[in-house]
Amino acid sequence: MEALAKSDFIAKEEKAAKPFVLWRPSAKTGLISWLTTIDHKRIGFLYGASGLLFFIVGGIEALLIRLQLMVPNNTLLTSAQYNEMFTMHGTTMIFLVVMPIGAAFFNFIMPLQIGARDVAFPRLNAFSFWTFAVGAIILNLGWFMKDGAPDAGWFGYAPLTTRTFSPSHAIDMWVMGLQLLGVASIAAALNFIVTIINMRAPGMTMMRLPVFTWMTLFTSFLIVLSFPAITIALIEIMMDRLFGTNFFEVSNGGLPILWQHLFWVFGHPEVYILILPAMGIISEILPTFARKPLFGYPIVVFSGASIGFLGFGVWSHHMFTTGMGTAATAAFAFMTMAIAVPTGVKMFNWIGTLWGGHLRMRTPMMFAIGFLWMFMIGGLSGIMHAAAPADAQQHGSYFVVAHFHYVLIGGSLFALFAGIHYWFPLMFGRKVSEFWGKLSFWVIFIGFNVTFFPMHFLGLEGMPRRTFTYDSNMGWNTGNFWATMGAITLGVGVAIYFITLIYTYYKGERTIKDPWDARTQEWSLPNPPPEYNYAVIPTVHARDSWWYTKRHLDEYKKETSDHLKDDEGHGGIHMPFQSIYPFFAGCGIFIASVGIAIVDFADPAKYPGFWGPKVATTIVGGAIMFISVVLWAIEGNDGYHLHLNPDGSVRGEDHSHAKAH
Amino acid sequence: MTTAVATIDHHHDPTTTTGIPNKKLLMWAFLASDCMFFGCLISTHLIYRLHPPPGTPPAREVFSIELTSFSTFILLMSSLMMALAVNAIQKGNLKSLRWSLLTTIFFGCIFLGCQVFEFTNFVHEKHLTITNSILGTTFFTLTGTHGLHVLIGVIWLTGMLIYSFTGRLQEKDAIDVEMMGLYWHFVDIVWIVIFTAVYLLEYI
Amino acid sequence: MSAPATAAAQLPHAPEKSKFGLFVQIAMVLAVITGLELVTVYLPFAAWLLFTILVVLSAVKFLFVIFVFMHLKWDKIFCTILFFIGLTLAGGTMWALLKLFGAEASRPVTTMAEPPAAAVLVA
Repeated sequence: MEALAKSDFIAKEEKAAKPFVLWRPSAKTGLISWLTTIDHKRIGFLYGASGLLFFIVGGIEALLIRLQLMVPNNTLLTSAQYNEMFTMHGTTMIFLVVMPIGAAFFNFIMPLQIGARDVAFPRLNAFSFWTFAVGAIILNLGWFMKDGAPDAGWFGYAPLTTRTFSPSHAIDMWVMGLQLLGVASIAAALNFIVTIINMRAPGMTMMRLPVFTWMTLFTSFLIVLSFPAITIALIEIMMDRLFGTNFFEVSNGGLPILWQHLFWVFGHPEVYILILPAMGIISEILPTFARKPLFGYPIVVFSGASIGFLGFGVWSHHMFTTGMGTAATAAFAFMTMAIAVPTGVKMFNWIGTLWGGHLRMRTPMMFAIGFLWMFMIGGLSGIMHAAAPADAQQHGSYFVVAHFHYVLIGGSLFALFAGIHYWFPLMFGRKVSEFWGKLSFWVIFIGFNVTFFPMHFLGLEGMPRRTFTYDSNMGWNTGNFWATMGAITLGVGVAIYFITLIYTYYKGERTIKDPWDARTQEWSLPNPPPEYNYAVIPTVHARDSWWYTKRHLDEYKKETSDHLKDDEGHGGIHMPFQSIYPFFAGCGIFIASVGIAIVDFADPAKYPGFWGPKVATTIVGGAIMFISVVLWAIEGNDGYHLHLNPDGSVRGEDHSHAKAH
Repeated sequence: MTTAVATIDHHHDPTTTTGIPNKKLLMWAFLASDCMFFGCLISTHLIYRLHPPPGTPPAREVFSIELTSFSTFILLMSSLMMALAVNAIQKGNLKSLRWSLLTTIFFGCIFLGCQVFEFTNFVHEKHLTITNSILGTTFFTLTGTHGLHVLIGVIWLTGMLIYSFTGRLQEKDAIDVEMMGLYWHFVDIVWIVIFTAVYLLEYI
Repeated sequence: MSAPATAAAQLPHAPEKSKFGLFVQIAMVLAVITGLELVTVYLPFAAWLLFTILVVLSAVKFLFVIFVFMHLKWDKIFCTILFFIGLTLAGGTMWALLKLFGAEASRPVTTMAEPPAAAVLVA
């Protein structure tokens, strides 16, 4: 063994080869630090800020819809503008608000909950964010162009989206934007799966994971397994639009219904992608503010898995009225009813958590309890849809609009708003005012219910969706008027919520560590957490690991000092280098996307043959992306080492033995 | 406290919770996703074969099963070469790695060449284009997307081959070659499915 | 970034037997099966039988590649589970889509002279 170690052949191999590095960005503040960041906390912040910004955009789109529908035969928006509004409101809220805010929490909180210092692939994580940003921009460019914003609904049914019926670039931008968002989501989800499976602190077994981390895992599985369906659907429609293929071209054998199937194979798991993170957040907040462990942890986890799995078998309940045949309709109706069971189970477990607990009604708890009630109402209207004969009347009506807003606002949004208040002290070290938080909750709660409860009746009375106006003799006037009043109230509530947040971010009262006396590992960190997260990777002994630690402080102190000595013995804390290549790759993708979706085909008189502005732009963008990826690959995943003082402050950085771990 | 170890364990990474190297886990998760991707694309093709529009010529009159069997064989052999390449780098044998990578690339290019030949033949002699029929649309999109995956693989392999000459690729980097190998084998197994579902089934 | 390495040294393991020979053998088996598939389509059997034979032969090729070339046989079982989740879901989705489009109600109308049967409209 020793002889081998000394031989020339082996010794040559052990000489550390220097990776090919053009630039090691090291700025910790300023624009460059944000463009080159690979820190999961900063990336989470970027996602969250983007989500909240687009919430305002989507909210304005919603208010314009409601103002248009406030009175019959209104002329605030033309029918064409109305189509753009409901399309972009839906697309924005789903893909640019709820998913990114969910991603913000996955990024910031999940690694802290499992005791990790970052995700498995930090540069890939940054790449996900930049690709998301490019997708968001491409989706919204239409507002500033003659083509206009996308206007074929957030579900983009063929043949409306074919070139014949949507000749402008609006739909090309919608297709390209969604495609990029899909790439970003899949990359991020792959990263989270590897992180949760492979980077847990010692003692953090799967059944000791916080429920939020479990839901992150299930959501990530849903993303990687459902997005490919819409990727294929988008490729097919794009090929029809760009190259004249026949996927949805009826005259040449195409079947537009295929679009519906492929879209909903993605679309149904997508709504579980929107709600599972919310369920995870609620499962953290209720135990904390009831001062009781989550009731039935294993069954809550198993139900999450069941919902994820069954979610792939129900997609055609969005298509009950398309004439699939009795057998298919019955099968999907049955599966849809089945999926209500694990959801109901979770509901009972949450109630069981509250039962007998010492409830402290802080703002996060208000939103969480609001979630329980509002999501349940949304679930009840959902189960009414599951009965296919009833759905024959409800489909395409405002009953559906009421259902999904109850589950998406009353469910997802309430939980995300709760999570923002809950984790704000950890992320920013400041506490949000109870008064303003609770006020925003009540205004939102009242406004939300006044907006959407009447829509149940409007739907049952026959008011169709996606229509820009209605006549005054339909019996819909009062419902619509009050829905608009509610929407305005909801807008005021959201404004109070946002202003409170922004104020607190800059001037809020500073708070102690762990102000809620919480249960999970992330609360053991200083607030805000240092760049390296854990000075010492914790050892986990039980579920609700921080709660356990607080009751076994001596054991914790001993383990911490032992591991601190170990880390120093191994050369300190390993930190990855920042990188510009994820951002550059995003820039390349942006240019290529503009080429594919926006630049017109060349005029054959000016550019005979293959080459022209469209091809050139796409190739230039692709080349920039390719070069960035190559440089990213060969710069290696090296890092530097941090040495800490016993109190956690940084004693020094060591770049001498840059080595990947 | 650890002496220089002459052998690296390529199948167990002690720094991860499960012992599976992160890159391997990432690639397997990605391949699960790619299964859904190709599953939907193959489904599209098969759906459109259920009720071909009247007047569609039978696919077996267009296809040349001998050529396709040959290219299937070529891709399988490239998989063998890829497995040998991973085997080589795991033993630190750079010379063997380079030859195996080169042959993998060579076979991959032969496969692509067969595809190009097949496509040109279908367009010019058999009058099947991507726009003139639903069969043409689904066939060319499906096999074209697969071919694109092969091309990406060939580019990746070529990059790895060039990198192996810079002295920066060492035995400890075997996981990168293994990860690339998983991708290449996946492209092969997708072709196994396509060969049966798209070609062979048209003959029975 | 990574979980802390344990203080105990790596247990020494016996050097692995080279898989070179195994890979070549499997490759030959794959080549033979491909030949068999080509022969099968010319056999004068019923379509359902030929279909079954082809599916089985390709499945065998598929499994050989994933378990031997892709090393799943010797890796931790979680990698196999992960891949089979994707594979099963893709297969199940394909099966469901083909059943949906194969149903009588989904048969495309090819000429206007042939109105769909009234029973189909009601179903």
